[in-house]
Amino acid sequence: MSYFDNKVPPKREDRLQAVIAHKDSICGIANRGGGKSCLIQDGERAFTQGTICLLLPALAMLNSLPDNVVLLHSALGCGSCTHSQNANVRTGSNARWGKPKDGIWLSTALDETDVINGGEGKLEQAIIEADRRYRPASITIVAGCVPGIIGDDIDGVAQKVQPQVNARLLPVHCEGFKTKIWATAYDAVYHTIGRNLLVERGEKQITPQDELEVFKEQQRLARTVNLMNVSSMGRIDELELERLLNSLGLEANVFPVFAHPDSFVKATRAALSISTCPTHDDYFLGYLEERFGVPSLIQHMPIGIENTSLWLRDVAAKFGLEEQAELLIASEEAELRQALEEFRPLFEGKTVFISAGEFRALATARLLQEIGLEVVGIRSFHHDEFAEVEYEKLAREAKSDYVVDIANVQPFEEANLLKRLKPDLFLGHANGNMTAAKLGVATHVIYNTGLAYIGYRGVYEVARRLYRQLSNPSYNKRLAENVRLPYAESWYQAEPFTYLNSRGRSVNE
Amino acid sequence: MSEHFVERARYFCSLGGAVSTVTALPGGIPILHSASGCAGNFAWTQNGGSGLQVGGYCGSLTVPSSNVQENEVVFGGEERLREQIANTLQVMDGGLYVVLTGCVPEVIGDDIFAVVNDFRNEGAPVIGAATGGFRGDSYWGYDLVLQALAKDYLTKGLPKVKGRVNLWGVVPYMDPFWRGNLEGARHLLELIGLEVNTFFTPADSLERIKAAGSAELNVVVSDRYGVEAARQFEERHGTPFVTAPLPIGVTASETFLRQVGAALGLAEDAVGEVIAREKRHYYQILEPLTDCYNDLDLQRYAVVVGDANYAVALTRFLADDLGWLPVLTVVTDRVQEQDQEGIAQRVAQLGSGYRTNLVFESDASEVLGHLNRVWPRSTGQKYHNGFSPAFVVGSSLERELALQIGAPHLSVSFPVANRAVLDRGYTGFRGGLRLAEDLISAVVAGR
Repeated sequence: MSYFDNKVPPKREDRLQAVIAHKDSICGIANRGGGKSCLIQDGERAFTQGTICLLLPALAMLNSLPDNVVLLHSALGCGSCTHSQNANVRTGSNARWGKPKDGIWLSTALDETDVINGGEGKLEQAIIEADRRYRPASITIVAGCVPGIIGDDIDGVAQKVQPQVNARLLPVHCEGFKTKIWATAYDAVYHTIGRNLLVERGEKQITPQDELEVFKEQQRLARTVNLMNVSSMGRIDELELERLLNSLGLEANVFPVFAHPDSFVKATRAALSISTCPTHDDYFLGYLEERFGVPSLIQHMPIGIENTSLWLRDVAAKFGLEEQAELLIASEEAELRQALEEFRPLFEGKTVFISAGEFRALATARLLQEIGLEVVGIRSFHHDEFAEVEYEKLAREAKSDYVVDIANVQPFEEANLLKRLKPDLFLGHANGNMTAAKLGVATHVIYNTGLAYIGYRGVYEVARRLYRQLSNPSYNKRLAENVRLPYAESWYQAEPFTYLNSRGRSVNE
Repeated sequence: MSEHFVERARYFCSLGGAVSTVTALPGGIPILHSASGCAGNFAWTQNGGSGLQVGGYCGSLTVPSSNVQENEVVFGGEERLREQIANTLQVMDGGLYVVLTGCVPEVIGDDIFAVVNDFRNEGAPVIGAATGGFRGDSYWGYDLVLQALAKDYLTKGLPKVKGRVNLWGVVPYMDPFWRGNLEGARHLLELIGLEVNTFFTPADSLERIKAAGSAELNVVVSDRYGVEAARQFEERHGTPFVTAPLPIGVTASETFLRQVGAALGLAEDAVGEVIAREKRHYYQILEPLTDCYNDLDLQRYAVVVGDANYAVALTRFLADDLGWLPVLTVVTDRVQEQDQEGIAQRVAQLGSGYRTNLVFESDASEVLGHLNRVWPRSTGQKYHNGFSPAFVVGSSLERELALQIGAPHLSVSFPVANRAVLDRGYTGFRGGLRLAEDLISAVVAGR
């Protein structure tokens, strides 16, 4: 039986033994690569800071879908994060269709009465009204924590109401307290796509077909690849990868962000699915392969020179295009390396600390090594087996061993580490650069859909931006002279992992 | 307004409002007893709606949070909270720690006050508030924090000090201009000789907040936000309160000063002198705009969309000070029917005599429909008195409306995604000048 036969996808701590609380070093974690990731037992922190839950990345994907309405079934505040994600929806729409457009997100705003009496009735009415008001192609019904506790059955409601509405109803399970690995978000969204959008709806058109047209379409599909983007790439990065794939004579079906719900079925007909981030895609690509026979590639994130070339070689090998790929890679690399020379003198000898989702952090770390920086610390938001090969790549190039902190953000550990390591530069996720900035370290965001990061073009653009940041980090320097972080002085004297595993084993283990 | 959902809600939940409020207190450290994602949700919301302001001293992803999981849902989260508070007191350097609950611990029935009281009994500066998201919106979360301060933090039984007032009603981060608006309103009150405790500005301190019970009056510049807290404050500390619309511009500032002066029994002449002087300054500055105001024909019809504070205050400013024509005023809060009349009264009789049409509507996509009802569209006739030239003052969600009716637009009410706000404010006489600058600059941006 497939995971997709269940209403709710498994959480990643169960499916992949993913962990969020662990301290290690680059050599230590790389050496484990030969064994199994389950050798790392997840820890616990006795002091924790707030993070995100799977609802946030799930909404980042869902809000991008054109002609879709997001209906949150939860208390009023869940999903207010969309106010910032909406900027991405607007710029993403503008980049793709020449017009900024706001997303539409709704909340059933469960109140005290609903908590006691249940919210299924309210949800039914909300679906019907949303269908009439907005006439969308689909309504994603997203459950937050409250229905998860009071026991509302969003799948049951969707099934019951479906005959009364035109929109396709897509239940998505984002009950935040149920998983500590927020990457489960990608599985939650792909789960509903897999269960609801991959089968053609309505009657097949039966008309006499032009045999030549049919043949041409088959030829096209034989060279069409699914290029997976779950919202961590902007249009500018998609264009870079499309450019590289086109150079090999391949056509890209970018999927699933900013893809129309009615077009998802195209993914089942492609010749290959290519992941741009294994953390994001493994759950769905496995399903596409198993159910529809679409093979997939899921290693290497095309960030950095080496990784982009490895990624391209893998794709080329699937189509017997190795020679063509080598020519492309050689010319791209030569051109890029020469262009990077301009920045090298400023980067040489500078140290950097990196913090982000695991694969993104590791691939970016490799990029930074390539342009001449020295990595002195990494904080990955979680750890699973897909990343082992990336740790090995980094360990191979490391001048000396350095810390790897597996933490779902937890800036208090980072503040402690940064005070010790004193790096010249810090790259952090959105909402993740503030700690380093207040310590006076030059900073740059590791992911922003308006900026280029991916492919050969991305390497150059990242270098260009870091050159700018390092040329004048005065904003952070002045800030550090005048504000302080909210930690007690004694905390900086303490061991950075003081609160890791200082808590009793949890009851249900 | 839909009965079944809220479209693109222009607020956080009560926990989000409470967290934002606590982080705005001097040395305030919130301790969330909630699922892990609540903090991140608020950080992203501020990022998208609060004029590019996120966090502060201990906000964003820095906030301590118990991050409850399924384990706590099954076995209860009180022990986890106890551990979290104890360790927070070790790691974080704050003056006041406020435990705030999210939906999950409240639904499962954790008793946070029992845990909080254990720390209080040992003298730790910790208080708590039940702010689960299903209790209401972020404005209510602000009110709940003020209630908790009045109940558990403020010193009781202090003698009243003449001329000392507390100023409430401006909600940090929900009003992207909160810093400037608090300072502008404080400055107004200082003009008539009052000593003002604003709680959330760099000039405030925990010592002064602790002594807030010594105020002889609470001034709430809102018909909704902080009003319940002011009522409870009166019960606990014997300080009466007045509510007033957010005083934006010259007419509103004058009315506001006279109202507060009367409530405190200040000499009318003295208040009148201050007002006369400030008005002189105001018009001296406005004077040189007059040529261009006329030559460029800068009078506009307007649609005003905002929370209960801004919808009223902006409408009054446009009609009574700027001489514009607010045709539709949309209040985006979800206001209970019995409370709607009081807000409607605020714009029912404007000094200018101009009448707006007021509706209660939370959903951005419905505003155009309301406008079409109050100002019918052309049916193709040769002569039509159209809705132009027009202006839309609202949030960044009103950009689509502005495009649809071909009007310039200014984001003032939450969410403000497309402006950077630091200490700009619109309250007071000076604030009116700022607002006039911003509105007219948007009109002439292409000049």
